[in-house]
Amino acid sequence: MFEANMDEEWTAGYREPCVQCSAVDWGVSDEGRFYCRSCHNVIERTREVVDPTFTPGSSRVSTIGKGSRTKKTERGHQWNICEGFQFILKKQAEALIRLGVSPRLKDEVLCELWRLYLQKSGQAFTDRPLTSFRVNVRGLDSDSESAAEFSGRSVSDTDGETVASSTVLSNAGSSVDPPPCSGSSDAVSYLTAQQLRSSSLMTMRKTLALIHIALVWIREALTLSDLLRLVNEGHVPYVNAFEELPDEMKLEGKDHLIFKVETIPSHESVHKEAQALLHVLQLPPFPPISCQSLLHPALLSLRYLTELNLPDELHLWVCRLMEQAGLEDQTVHTVDPLTLYVLPRYGVQTAALIVVTMKAVFGGVLRQTGEQDDSGNLFNLRRWYKLLQAALIRAQQNKEHDTARKQWRSKRDVSTSRNRKWVAVKKKRTAEQVQICFERLSSRPAGVERIGPSSFRFCWGDEDGADGPGLHHLTLDGVLTLKHGVLTPSHSTYWHPALQQCNYWRCRSHYLKLEPTLPRMFVWLLKLFSFLLDVKPASLYEEVLRVERRVFGSRTPWRKTKTETKTETKTKTKCRPKTKTKTRPETETKTAKTDR
Amino acid sequence: MMDDLERELGRFEDLKHEDDFSDDNSTRGSKRTKPRRMHAETPRETGFHQSTRICLEHIREALLHHRWQEAAEYMACYPQKLEDTATSQSEQYTELVWRLSTEILHQHPNSKLDDYNSIYERMKHSGIRHYLMICLEHSFHLLLNGHIENAKNQLSAAESWRYGKESGHVRQQQIVKLIQAYRSLLDYMIWCDKRFTHFDTDPSSISNADMHNYFRQASVNLKEILRNPGVWDPFILSYVEMLDFYEDYEEALNVLKNYAYDNTFPPNPNAHVYLYQYLKRHEAPERKLIKVLKILQVLVPSHELMLEYSSLLLQSERKKDTQKALEVVLEMLAFACWKSNLDAWKRLKDIIEKLQLEKNWKDVVSDKMAERKNWWPALHFTSFHFRTDSEENPELVEVKASLTKILCPDLTMKYSAGQESA
Repeated sequence: MFEANMDEEWTAGYREPCVQCSAVDWGVSDEGRFYCRSCHNVIERTREVVDPTFTPGSSRVSTIGKGSRTKKTERGHQWNICEGFQFILKKQAEALIRLGVSPRLKDEVLCELWRLYLQKSGQAFTDRPLTSFRVNVRGLDSDSESAAEFSGRSVSDTDGETVASSTVLSNAGSSVDPPPCSGSSDAVSYLTAQQLRSSSLMTMRKTLALIHIALVWIREALTLSDLLRLVNEGHVPYVNAFEELPDEMKLEGKDHLIFKVETIPSHESVHKEAQALLHVLQLPPFPPISCQSLLHPALLSLRYLTELNLPDELHLWVCRLMEQAGLEDQTVHTVDPLTLYVLPRYGVQTAALIVVTMKAVFGGVLRQTGEQDDSGNLFNLRRWYKLLQAALIRAQQNKEHDTARKQWRSKRDVSTSRNRKWVAVKKKRTAEQVQICFERLSSRPAGVERIGPSSFRFCWGDEDGADGPGLHHLTLDGVLTLKHGVLTPSHSTYWHPALQQCNYWRCRSHYLKLEPTLPRMFVWLLKLFSFLLDVKPASLYEEVLRVERRVFGSRTPWRKTKTETKTETKTKTKCRPKTKTKTRPETETKTAKTDR
Repeated sequence: MMDDLERELGRFEDLKHEDDFSDDNSTRGSKRTKPRRMHAETPRETGFHQSTRICLEHIREALLHHRWQEAAEYMACYPQKLEDTATSQSEQYTELVWRLSTEILHQHPNSKLDDYNSIYERMKHSGIRHYLMICLEHSFHLLLNGHIENAKNQLSAAESWRYGKESGHVRQQQIVKLIQAYRSLLDYMIWCDKRFTHFDTDPSSISNADMHNYFRQASVNLKEILRNPGVWDPFILSYVEMLDFYEDYEEALNVLKNYAYDNTFPPNPNAHVYLYQYLKRHEAPERKLIKVLKILQVLVPSHELMLEYSSLLLQSERKKDTQKALEVVLEMLAFACWKSNLDAWKRLKDIIEKLQLEKNWKDVVSDKMAERKNWWPALHFTSFHFRTDSEENPELVEVKASLTKILCPDLTMKYSAGQESA
C-alpha cells in the first residue's frame, strides 16, 4: 500500500480492535475512511470530518483547482451490473430476515432463484454468454463457488488488489490491475440491450418481483402489498439501495440510470413483472398453498377481518362463500407450470372475497336496515362505517403527510456525467444547508419518523392511540334469520352490475365509467380495501367481478369450475357474458342457501 | 407570490442559456417551446415528484393559514427538490425555495439572523439569475437589523459581479443601478454616523478624512444615479444634505432643480417640496419661493404647504397675488383635510379683508365663487355643519359665519341653528 507510511500517522490514535477479525491494524483508504488491513473491513471513522456548517461567506472568490481533481486511482475493480443487483438483492433479503421472515429466504430460495435467473437470461452459468456484454463469464463448474460467493459476500471478502475469483472477469483475463476508472464495466451495453429487447434483464423493480416470488415459494405471510409497504417505509432497501454497495463498486456515469429509482412501483406493475419472471424462470411447481398456509384466503381473510374491525362471525360466511366459489382448493392458489404459471394476487383476491361476502350478508347495496340494537351486541353496519370512515380519513391524511415528507435523495453523489458533477455537488450542498437550517428552526428532522414496522394499519380496542373500539365480538344476528332451521342472511337479493359484452383482450377496466352508477357503500368499501392494499379500486373491482363469476357459476368455456357447488342457485336472468342482454341495472338473484 | 412566478415563467423563454447551467439529461433532445406549469401533476409522475409536489402544497397551505411552525417543518423536507435532475426549470425552483424560506424566516418566531445569513448566502450562490436580487434583499435585511457595515459590504460585492451574458441583460442592469444607489445610501448613513459622533472642527484629523472618503464614494455614484429618471427621494435628500454640509450650494440647487423640473422624470410633488425647503433654508427671495410652490399647488392642491403658500401670496404687494391666494385657499377648503381647519378659514378671512381694500372686491369674489356656488355652500354652510362645528370648534363657527354672506350673497341655506329655509 503506497499510503502505508502515512497511515501510521493518521491512525496512530485509534486502537480499537476490528469488529470482524479483532486485529488492530488500521489503514486509511483514499476517501479517508479507516479500514482494517487484515480483513479489509471498512468502518465509519473518517480521517477528516467535513464541516457541514461551513457557509461560503461573503467572499466571492472560490477556486476550483483543476489539478487536484485527478485523484489517485481509487481502489475499485471491474464489476458488472448483475453483480450490483446481486448485492442489492442480498441486502433486501437480509432486511426481510431481520424483520422476521424465515432465514431460508436468502440462502435456500433467493440464491437459487438468482442463479436460475442468471442462467436463463444468459448472463452467467452458461457456456455461451450474451454477446452484447463485453465481459465473459465463467462456466458451469463453479456452482459451489457461487453459493459461497452469494451468502458469504460482504465487504470484508473483497480485496481490491486481486479480482475475486467468483466475480466476472475481464476480457484480458483475471488478476488485472485495478483500472483507473471505476463504475460498472457494462452499463452502456446493459442499457442498450435492455432497450433492444425489453427483456428479462434485471431492473430495480424486478428485484422486488423476484423477492415476491421467493416469499410465495416459502409461503411467508407477506403479501405483495405488505412487501411494497415495507419498501415504501424504508424497512427494505430500495430507493437508495445502491448506497449499500461496497466502496469498491463505485457508481459512475450510466450506472445511475440503472440503479437510481425515484418511484416505488405500483402493486400492479410488480405483479406483472413477477408474472413475466415466472415465465422466464420456468420453475417446478411451487409448494402448495393449503388451507393452513397464511396466504390462503381462509387465513388471510381472518387477518383482514381483524384489521378492519369486522366481527369474527363474518369469517364463517367468508369461508362458506370461498367454498362455493371453489377457492378453497389449493391448486387454485399454487403456482404451477400446468396452470401456465399464473401468479394469484393473494391479497386482492381475499379482499374481493370479503367484499362479496359482505354484499351477500348485508344485502347487495349494503344498506343497514332492520331493528335497532338495544343490547349493544349486534353488529351495526352504519356504526361500523362511521368508525372506519373516520379512521380511514385519518390514515389517508397521515399517508399524505408522510408522502410529503419523504426524502428520496441519497447521501452519495449521484450524477450521470462527469462534467455535471460539480453542479450536482453544489446543489446537494445547498439543499443540505437549507434543510439543516429549517430542521433547526422547526426542531423536527426532515423525513418520516421511522416507527416500528407493522402489518396492520389500524388498531382497534380500548388502549390509547387506538382508532376506535373493537367490534370483533359482536354478532351478526341482526342480519341473519332462521329459515328452515338454518341461519341465512335476511336479504335475499343480491345486486350485480349489468352484464355487457366486451372484448376480453382489448377492454381494460370498466370501473371508471360504471362507478357513478354503483351503490355508494360498495364504492366506499372498494376504496377502503384499496387503501389497505394500496391497489387501484378498479383492479379490486375486477377481482370482485371475477369472484362473483366463480360463485354464481359461469358457463364460459375456458374456465372449468373445479368444485361443484353443492347448492342450487336460482337465477332469474342468465349470466352468460356472451348474450347481449339489456337488463335493468338491478338484476336479482336469489342467494344460495346453505345447509351447513 | 405564486402569481409573480407565473408571470416570470413567461419571461424565461428567451433565456435559453439556462441549459448551460442546469444538468438535466432527460430533456436533451427536445427543447420545450412553452415552459411547463410548475405545480401541476403530470400524468406519469415519479414518486419523488409527487412527494415534492405535495410538500409544496402543504407549505403553501400552511403559509396561507399562518401556521408558521408547520410551514417550517415541511420546508425542511422540501430542499431535495433542488437536486432534481429531471426538471428543466431548476432556476425557478431555486427562486421558489429562496422566497419561501425568507418568508418563513420573517414570520417564524424563532428565526435568527444567522439563519437569514445562511439562507441568503446559499441561495445566492446556487443560481446566477437571482444573484443580484438576493444580494439586494440580503443587504436590506442587514440594514433593517442595524448591521450597516455588513450591508454595505454585501452591496459592494454585488456591484462588481460579472457573469458573461447574464450580467449584460437589461433586467440585471436595472438591479445593478439599484444596488449602486443603495450602496451610496449606506455610505451616506455611515457618513452621517461619523459626522455626529466623531466630527471635530480640526480639518486635518484622520477621522474626518475617513468621513470625507465616504462622501466621495457616495457622491460619485449618486450623481450618476440621479441622472436616471425615477423616484429617488431618499437618495436626493442624502446627497443634498452632504453637499450642503460641504457648502457646495450650487450643485445642491442644481440637483434639486433637475429633480423637480426635468420632464423625463415622473411627476413627483416631493421634488418641489424639497426644492422649496432648501430654498427656504437658504433664505431665498419670496418670489422664488412663490414660483416653486406654484407648481406644487397645481400638482397637489391640498398639500400642507398650501397654507404657507397662501401666506406668502398675502404678504406680497401685487394684487394678482392676493387674488391667487383667494383661489388657493378656496381650493384647499374643498378637501376633507382642510375643510374644518381653523387656520385655513382664518387665512381666508384675512384674504377677504385685504381684498376688501380694493374697490372691485365683490366682483373678484363672485368671479372666484362662480364655478363653486353650486356645491360650496352645501359643503360648508348647512345647519348640520353648524351643529358639528359648534360642538367641535366653536371658534370656527364665528369665522365661518362672518364669511357666509360675503362668499355666498344669495345663500338660501342658513348657517345657524334652526331649520333650513326651503
